Amino acid sequence: MTSRGSSGPAIEAIDLVKWFGKTVALDGVSFTVPRGSVFGVIGPNGAGKTTIMRALLDLIRLASGHATLLGTDSRNAGPELRRRIGFLPGELILEGRVTGRRLLRHYANISGPVHSGRVDDLAGRLGLDLDRTVRTLSKGNKQKLGIVQAFMHQPDLLVLDEPTSGLDPLMQQEFLALVSEARDAGQTVFLSSHVISEIQQAADEVAILRDGRIITVAGVESLRDTAIRHIRVSANGLSAAELNSRLVPLIGMGELDCRATATGAEATAVFSGAISPFVQAISTLSLTDLVVEEPELEESVLRLYSQPKARR
Amino acid sequence: MTAAAARPAADQSELVRRTMLPIFTKSLIDGWRSLVGWSVGFTAALSLYLPIFPSMSGNSQMQDLIDSLPTELTRTLNYQQIDTGAGYTQSTFFGLMGFLLISIAAISWGAAAIGGDEESGQLELTLAHAVTRVEVAAQRFAALVVKILALALVAFAVILFWNGPAELDIDLANLAVTCLLFGGLALVCGSTALLCGAITGRRIWGIGGGAAVAVVGYVFNAIANQSADLEWLHWLSPYYAAFGDNPLANGTDAWTLVGFYLAALVLGGLAALALRQRDVGV
Repeated sequence: MTSRGSSGPAIEAIDLVKWFGKTVALDGVSFTVPRGSVFGVIGPNGAGKTTIMRALLDLIRLASGHATLLGTDSRNAGPELRRRIGFLPGELILEGRVTGRRLLRHYANISGPVHSGRVDDLAGRLGLDLDRTVRTLSKGNKQKLGIVQAFMHQPDLLVLDEPTSGLDPLMQQEFLALVSEARDAGQTVFLSSHVISEIQQAADEVAILRDGRIITVAGVESLRDTAIRHIRVSANGLSAAELNSRLVPLIGMGELDCRATATGAEATAVFSGAISPFVQAISTLSLTDLVVEEPELEESVLRLYSQPKARR
Repeated sequence: MTAAAARPAADQSELVRRTMLPIFTKSLIDGWRSLVGWSVGFTAALSLYLPIFPSMSGNSQMQDLIDSLPTELTRTLNYQQIDTGAGYTQSTFFGLMGFLLISIAAISWGAAAIGGDEESGQLELTLAHAVTRVEVAAQRFAALVVKILALALVAFAVILFWNGPAELDIDLANLAVTCLLFGGLALVCGSTALLCGAITGRRIWGIGGGAAVAVVGYVFNAIANQSADLEWLHWLSPYYAAFGDNPLANGTDAWTLVGFYLAALVLGGLAALALRQRDVGV
């Protein structure tokens, strides 16, 4: 979409460094987000996701490095840049005494123009009642209000910190639809999450962050291939050694543990290889149980960190 | 804006546009209940004190009572001139109850404006919208000025109302400048609270800073009243600068008046600079 203004990346972060006291929160973070793309950042709590976003918004000041948003240096940037950004803080705190509609009107007064039809449309899609006092809303509904607040002025760049936290699965899907519509309209979305499946669904590119450093930036497909899964296989009519010999040759098979059971054998493992060879390897077994479990993201990140070269 | 071009032309629904001074407007709208509450308090305090003046001034027993009090106490309370309407209004309202009320109002507003807002976590989102930090600080300072001047105006109006019935016999021009000094003194306390809140991002430091100016000003004045040796303390007291020359009876000079509002403006400007420099919400 060329209508979204000048060329060049939506976000260009160069060597961001931030200290909080004696701990380094960002340790030389660099990345580029092309316009019209969805860029995810994942990592365990405390990795620096929120710090990156707050630095981009110029809420906190970097020790060194700089960030350019939509072609403008974010440091002390004027209202013109902020009007083109929608932000959803990770720890969303909203004024409680007013109705949702009134609160949104206040933010629209600052960052407008906003079509009120747009606000009603967003609220309708998310199932949010705008005429209730904010204080009386549940955490999930407050989060929806935060999402409306970020999207309502159709900003060129959306910076969303853990946007789906507190949303039920149905609303998470609706939110992901909003993100993909935003991309189709030429908007750029920068979002963080600790839910790997959500990032996989929404993002074009993913940065994995740990201890204030980007370990890797990867396309979603390659992330899917490298994702670590817990597996458990039970089969009848074979020994533990036979089961072991089938699974051991697979690339990415780790922590393999095969035991005999009353009728056959059972194996548990942590598997990070491609899924298709695994399915082929067990296809001729007389399976009694098969569990392939998506792991906690934190664990994935930990493992990626310990073998960074293998993951690129 | 480039975003405007991408917006579908078919959407003809009502537009909420960017308004002038959105932060200022919101501060005033959010603050009206509190302002009404304080105004009621002012009116009540004045309407308790002022009507009983005629029965006090002509009453020799009352004067005997005051004479029998320790001079340290009458000096602290500024009760030496309590037999005139101006002296009575000065010592009971402007010098004591009114000063206490307006200082509390100004300090709580000032401390909440930036420090309180940041502490609650709401400032972060406001600053992410299309407004600079300096604008936020400046507009909230302006709202603080308006609210304090509104309270000073309430005091002016209520005293004006009782001036005749309570036989106070206060000169109108002197009343006007005293109310402005009264507002200016409160504004200095409130701006200090705003500044301390802007530096620390904490409401409690704002309250501490503002209260220090109010309390230290009052205490230094009271101590300096006791003896000539300690009179130099007057120069460290904003309270004395405002009320030391008994403006309700004598008026004041323009420089004193300008000084207070200029000081408040400087404090407000420093608050904007302090907020501009630092990390928000950490």
